[in-house]
Amino acid sequence: MKLGNTKVSKRGLITAGVVSVALITSSLVTTVGTSANAAGTLKIGVSLSLTGDFSDSGLAAQRGYTLWQQEVNKKGGILGRTVSFKIVNDASSPDQVVTNYTNLITKDKVDIVMGPFSSLLTVPASRVAKRYGYSFIEPAGGGPKVFAEKNPNLFFVQPAATTKGGDVFADYILSLPAASRPKTAGYVKLDDPFAAPLADNIKARFEAAGIKTVYDHTYPSETADMTPIISALAATKPDVVVGGTQSADAFAQVKAMIQLKFSPSWLFLSNGASSPLEFPQQIGLKNTEGVFTSSDWYPKSTAPGSAAFIKAYIAKFGGVATSIDGTSAEAYSAGTLLEQVAAKTKKIDNKTIIATLHKGSWPTLVGNLSWNAYGEPQGAYLLTQWQGGQLTTVWPKASAQKTPLAPKPAWVG
Amino acid sequence: MHLVVQALILGILTGGVYALMASGQTLIFGIMKVINLAQGAYVILGAYLTMSLFQWTHIDPFLLILLTTPLLFVIGAATQWFLLRPLRPDDAVELSLLVTFAVALGLEGLMSVLYKTTLRSIQPGYENHSWTIAGYQINEVRFYAFLLSIAMLIILYLLLQKTKFGRAVRATVQNPMSAQLLGVNSKLVSAFGFGLGVATSAAAGAVFGLITPFNPGSHYDLISRLLTVVILGGLGSIGGSVIAAMVMGIGAALVSALSEPVWADFTFFAVLILVLLFRPQGMFGTKARGAL
Repeated sequence: MKLGNTKVSKRGLITAGVVSVALITSSLVTTVGTSANAAGTLKIGVSLSLTGDFSDSGLAAQRGYTLWQQEVNKKGGILGRTVSFKIVNDASSPDQVVTNYTNLITKDKVDIVMGPFSSLLTVPASRVAKRYGYSFIEPAGGGPKVFAEKNPNLFFVQPAATTKGGDVFADYILSLPAASRPKTAGYVKLDDPFAAPLADNIKARFEAAGIKTVYDHTYPSETADMTPIISALAATKPDVVVGGTQSADAFAQVKAMIQLKFSPSWLFLSNGASSPLEFPQQIGLKNTEGVFTSSDWYPKSTAPGSAAFIKAYIAKFGGVATSIDGTSAEAYSAGTLLEQVAAKTKKIDNKTIIATLHKGSWPTLVGNLSWNAYGEPQGAYLLTQWQGGQLTTVWPKASAQKTPLAPKPAWVG
Repeated sequence: MHLVVQALILGILTGGVYALMASGQTLIFGIMKVINLAQGAYVILGAYLTMSLFQWTHIDPFLLILLTTPLLFVIGAATQWFLLRPLRPDDAVELSLLVTFAVALGLEGLMSVLYKTTLRSIQPGYENHSWTIAGYQINEVRFYAFLLSIAMLIILYLLLQKTKFGRAVRATVQNPMSAQLLGVNSKLVSAFGFGLGVATSAAAGAVFGLITPFNPGSHYDLISRLLTVVILGGLGSIGGSVIAAMVMGIGAALVSALSEPVWADFTFFAVLILVLLFRPQGMFGTKARGAL
């Protein structure tokens, strides 16, 4: 047959087709760890974004899971069974993640599954787990849509639904005496299901307490230039600025503020400022001083097991404590929950996991966790602030390592 | 009023940056009737090269442009010679879209492997400095980028109008056969012309890397903006692309600052569609012969 002006043989086409399919499938499946089907192994299946938009966080989660696997097997595994992971790549695709979990459960017959990265992928994945009666401990899906699934098998391994990430900042501001409180607020929000609701949550509480909204606008994710937006924000002279951000736009917002010489007395960023390495790299270490964000785990955390986690992480992956992504701590914590269920009940099947975790409170690297009927954690995040070049907890008072610093010092340029 | 003037200043400066990036794109189309979908990826490559060289040598990024420009010229010329020249002339225009898109993807993959997907930026220390003049903030880097754009555009214009090479390029565009008969080596001219268009992304990349955090995937947003600037200005008209870049920069800045940021890009596309309805060749372009 002819393709254009070249003659192509049928056999050639079939070979090409088979080779392409093989290449595509093999690039989407990466097997990590042993996958021996021997009795005596506890096989855990996970789909992660090893490539694509979420790959940085997907790889961080992989490190957290495999580090936990190494540590738990050192202690003899779970109930005498060696833990093995089958980690497959979803390339950050919501369609692929469904295929992956279906295969992990029906073909690979894993004993347990754990969650992928992001609310976007957790929602479809959790439906697969529910259909087959599997528990779904997941470290990284905390947006409202995840809990709207009303999945009783799901457990989100962070202190609260992510929209609550700003509540602790609102708690702090509203605890200030009226004379020292901000009078006006500006909200500059990314059009994103995590960032915008979080900022709107803070706005609702501030407005109820009489803090006047002087700027409230959303920008799309492809916004290249934040300077006109920040220039409009600065013109309204808000005392406190709440940035509903992910990472790239958080850096862009701060850079624009520096360039426009606008330094609010309080600045809260929902994400980006929590990256212990990238934030100071992108905006300059001296400029981080006084910026607020909320965290569950951060390098100076005093949660039990944190020091051992950091030590083991550096031994396995190198780097320093400040290069550890919080997603690794969250994935690691997902594993420790399994350990705790096994220790308490001497069983590790899915029904037991689901029934056991719905009662009581469970200590992890990211705090003491307890969940409502649909997996929404009932705790609170920690308010963290950059002081002296490091992220430190400043609220609530009981967990604070330092007192909050206000007003925010001027930019250093 | 203060906000309007500040937004105007920001828009003009941003427009300058886009003009710099779009100049190479429109030059390539003007010379070769090729829409280079890899132009954005070359800009990102320029940004990474500048970043690496800066980390290694600590020489100012603007000075490093003198090193990265010849490098990108060679890369561009090689792309044209090995990947575009073999295309048959009848299919060249359509196939070049595919080929240059493949080059963009290949560059993205290469940069992802070498640099990972973490966001980077070039930080010589002064990237956030602004002068305050009459109460308005003018960012140093964007101002230098604006001056650099003007300089590059003048150089390009002089190159094309006043040099033998420029005449050879224009002759090849008008009629490759006649040009060859008159002794012009069209193959070399095409390769060098493409190389020149890609070389402008060295300067554009340095500036882009100073202003915005970038990663290998940033070329998608860039190429969509560059294409719209170039089409609005008129494919092949360098002056047109400058004015279009200004329109885009100022329009987006004013809408972001005075209205809703979500409408900023839309406004630009609205302007583009309106102009194309009345002038399909863009503001200053010549009517294209043949299908695109």
